[in-house]
Amino acid sequence: MRLRFILLVLSLLAVVSASTGGYLFYYALHKSAFQEAERQAQARVEMFRIHLEALLSENLRPVRTLAAFPEMQAALVGSGKPSLDKVNRILDHFKATLEVDVCYLMDARGKTLASSNRYDPDSFVGLSFAFRPYFQHAMSNLPGFYMALGTASRKRGAYCSYPVLDPSSGDPIGVVVLKSSIDVIEARLGLTSDDIVLVTDPRGMIFISNRGDWLFKLARRATSRDLESIVRQRQFGAGPWEWIGLEYDPEHRGALLDGERFLLHHAELESIPGWRIIHLRNSNAIAAAISAPFIRITGPVVLCLCLLIGSAVFLLYRKASGELAQRRAVESALRESEERYRCLYHQTPAMLHSIDTEGRLVSVSDFWAEALGYAREEVIGLPLTGFMTPESRIYAETTVLPEFFKTGVCKDIAYQFLTKTGKPVDILLSAIADRDHQGCLVRTLAVSIDVTQRKRAEEALHLAKEELSRYSKDLERQVHLRTREITSILKHTPAVVYFKDMEGRYQLVNAGFEELFGVQNDAVRGRSDYDILPREVADRFRAGELVVMDHRRAHQVEEIIPQADGPHTYLSVKFPVYDEAGNPSGICGIATDITAVKKAQSQLRRLSGSIMANQEKERTAIARELHDELGQVLTALRMDAVWIQDRLKTHDERVAARALTMCQLIDKTIGDVRSLAYRLRPGVLDDLGLVDALELYTAEFENRTGILCVFDHQAVASPGDTVATAAYRITQEALTNVARHARAGHVTVSLVAKDSRLSLTVSDDGQGFNLDGVEGSEGLGLAGMRERAVLAGGQLTISSSPGQGTRVVFVVCLGDQLPLSLDGTS
Amino acid sequence: MIRVLLADDHSIVRAGLRRLVEESGDMEVVAEAADGREALRAVERDMPDVAVIDLSMPGLDGLEVIAQLHMLHPRLPLLVLTMHEEGQYVVRAVEAGAKGYITKQSAPEQLVSAIRKVIGGSRFLTDQAAEALALRIARGKGGQTPLDSLSMRELQVLRRLAMGATNREIAQIYSISIKTVDTYRARLLKKLDLRNNAELSRFAIQNRLIDL
Repeated sequence: MRLRFILLVLSLLAVVSASTGGYLFYYALHKSAFQEAERQAQARVEMFRIHLEALLSENLRPVRTLAAFPEMQAALVGSGKPSLDKVNRILDHFKATLEVDVCYLMDARGKTLASSNRYDPDSFVGLSFAFRPYFQHAMSNLPGFYMALGTASRKRGAYCSYPVLDPSSGDPIGVVVLKSSIDVIEARLGLTSDDIVLVTDPRGMIFISNRGDWLFKLARRATSRDLESIVRQRQFGAGPWEWIGLEYDPEHRGALLDGERFLLHHAELESIPGWRIIHLRNSNAIAAAISAPFIRITGPVVLCLCLLIGSAVFLLYRKASGELAQRRAVESALRESEERYRCLYHQTPAMLHSIDTEGRLVSVSDFWAEALGYAREEVIGLPLTGFMTPESRIYAETTVLPEFFKTGVCKDIAYQFLTKTGKPVDILLSAIADRDHQGCLVRTLAVSIDVTQRKRAEEALHLAKEELSRYSKDLERQVHLRTREITSILKHTPAVVYFKDMEGRYQLVNAGFEELFGVQNDAVRGRSDYDILPREVADRFRAGELVVMDHRRAHQVEEIIPQADGPHTYLSVKFPVYDEAGNPSGICGIATDITAVKKAQSQLRRLSGSIMANQEKERTAIARELHDELGQVLTALRMDAVWIQDRLKTHDERVAARALTMCQLIDKTIGDVRSLAYRLRPGVLDDLGLVDALELYTAEFENRTGILCVFDHQAVASPGDTVATAAYRITQEALTNVARHARAGHVTVSLVAKDSRLSLTVSDDGQGFNLDGVEGSEGLGLAGMRERAVLAGGQLTISSSPGQGTRVVFVVCLGDQLPLSLDGTS
Repeated sequence: MIRVLLADDHSIVRAGLRRLVEESGDMEVVAEAADGREALRAVERDMPDVAVIDLSMPGLDGLEVIAQLHMLHPRLPLLVLTMHEEGQYVVRAVEAGAKGYITKQSAPEQLVSAIRKVIGGSRFLTDQAAEALALRIARGKGGQTPLDSLSMRELQVLRRLAMGATNREIAQIYSISIKTVDTYRARLLKKLDLRNNAELSRFAIQNRLIDL
């Protein structure tokens, strides 16, 4: 700001001094120009006057000569025509030689007798000019000068007259006049247009001028008397004679015209009294004559100078303000940096402090104060060692500080500070010394790191390590134990156990395996089934393993392994073994010899089939016996009873009634027998086949239970006895379950034969049940149904879930060889 | 005199039957057979006016006897007399060519009138037998029919309703409650997409559930 102001003032001063110099120079120039102009004007006026007077007086001698011619006298006296002709010839001669406008002779009364222009249109021969002063002058025997506008020719002229004297008396008898043209004189005067030259009569009438428009106008305001005399003298035509508006300003020797100032000089004509030459020069023109070249020459110089100064000032200003801004920026950056440093120092999340050479705290960071529980104001100026535990204080005062003041640096010194509440804080302190120009220590900068937590963590880590080591030992022991357990299990189990890698190579086999295949663990390790077993057996094994790999879950198969005493059946469970990452790393197989079990099972099944078949056979026999034999007898009895009743109806009412009772009893018995037989085994099944039997049973079931039962069948050819019996019994069992447990409202029994497969489906819309909970238990007779299905060579599938109803499907191939026949023989 | 052939493997039953026939006054038993083949031979030999045949006989099965007799002597009226009262037997017997079907239990009451009926060229079937036959004919045509989705009891109720029986009557016939009958009816209408009993009747006739 200040600089700007200074620059502004300087530039203003420069401008003011430059303009003052310019003005002074201009003024001096102006003054001298005016003096010069005045001098010039005076010279010009004098020159004009002399010139004009010379031109005017030029004709004086010739006119005198002319007047002296005797012809003139003769003409005036004699006035005969021949003498006039002579005079005319002389006049013509003079006019031609003198190059004047006109020469003429007047008589004593002023009448023109002869003239050189006698033949011209403007001839004034015969006219009288007695009123003209030049005539009057001549008649007084004086030469006359006169300037006037010609009355006949309407041309300005300078008249020069001379009397013609009577030779005898010596009195003027006539006048000779020479009129020269003012136009010619004007031309010969050589008037320029730079200035204005006026020739005026005593009343101010402008007669000669280089301003044509001012002719016959008045150079000053005319009085009425003047105007009258002008009119009377007829010297300047008819008028009007206006004032040109020129006003004299005698004080400045000048004049004013139309608001413009003129320099004025004048000179009196000596030959014509009262007439004067007036010279006017426009002041502005003078000024312009000076200033125009001045401006032309100095203008560009001044302009250049101004531009130069201006740009110099501008450049200086720019440079100066740039430097100023830079300095300001540097100052503000410095301030900011100081501020930041202070802020950083105070707010950095580390314990920072500085001490002076006395060991007193100069500054501390917020974190330092906070860590020790003090406010900053409380600690500044106090010795640092006052915040240490006694041991640390001694250590600092005796060892660390002297050393530090010597070297100027210390690193990771372990101190214990005390907080305001007296709690010790473990820290590690590192410090450097801050020195001045002479290298003297001014203050220090120290960083302390609170290592309390770290120390604690280290201790905890140590404890954890010990714990871990203990655990690890324990674990090792347990692993050992388990390994021993597993090893003995593997060794003593009758099962065959092996581990294989993903490629099917043995990794480990147990004693059972060694015994079965007659190989040693070491010998078999790394080899596959193909190396120790027949190819087809190995293929089978490998196929099972691949299934396990694909499904990634345990897979149970029965495998036949040929042995010395014939093929043995093994129940083999294979399952993938996973590594830590959960990827399968191998396969484990456990195989148990179930040959004996299988054999027993097979026998049991045969037995069961045989029992079932025999049971059916017995039932059939009993049912038939009951139905046919007992039934027939009973009907025969009934016939007799009816007969008796009919016979005794009229003779013995009581006996008849007894017979009726007997008849009713027999009826009931027949019903019981029939029902019994039906329950044992329906005759329809044997007589009419499965479809009729199921139709009957379902209708009976519906009647009995009230559960809607739809029997849906397609024209199915009756299957063999075994299948029919199985199907019938399965239906019976399934429907019994429905009636007992399902709480169904609707059940469908459907019998479909397709592609030589007979399928029987019993499905209800009941509450269903959880298969897992019931499977295996005998409660629902599911096992019985399954057994029957298997014995008939078919399969039973039960599907149910709570709320979804139950569906029992029995499928059997009609063309198949039956594994067991009704009579139980294999 | 109406000449009757009795074929039954039980002599006691046969004797009872002979007595029933002969006591009618205008009938006589011209031949008796204890098994199927004997029956066939007896028909050839004695040419009876009517043959009364048991379904369960040793040797040739009763149904087979009926089928053969019907083939050989289409005009000979055949009356089935059997221990079985199940509708399935009735259907088979009628299919084989029997004209009448009675159970032995009802023989004392029905035999004579049944013989007269079949001699006269009519059928003799108990209500129950007629029903079983009608239902079987309606359902057993082969191929899918709308009746396949109905249970036996539904078919029975449908047939009765179509024949014009009231709910009360139907309830009595099948020993069920009137309310149950109504439930069956409602379910039938819904299953078969029908609106009233008239439509039920039309449906029953279209499906030949009742004879007209």
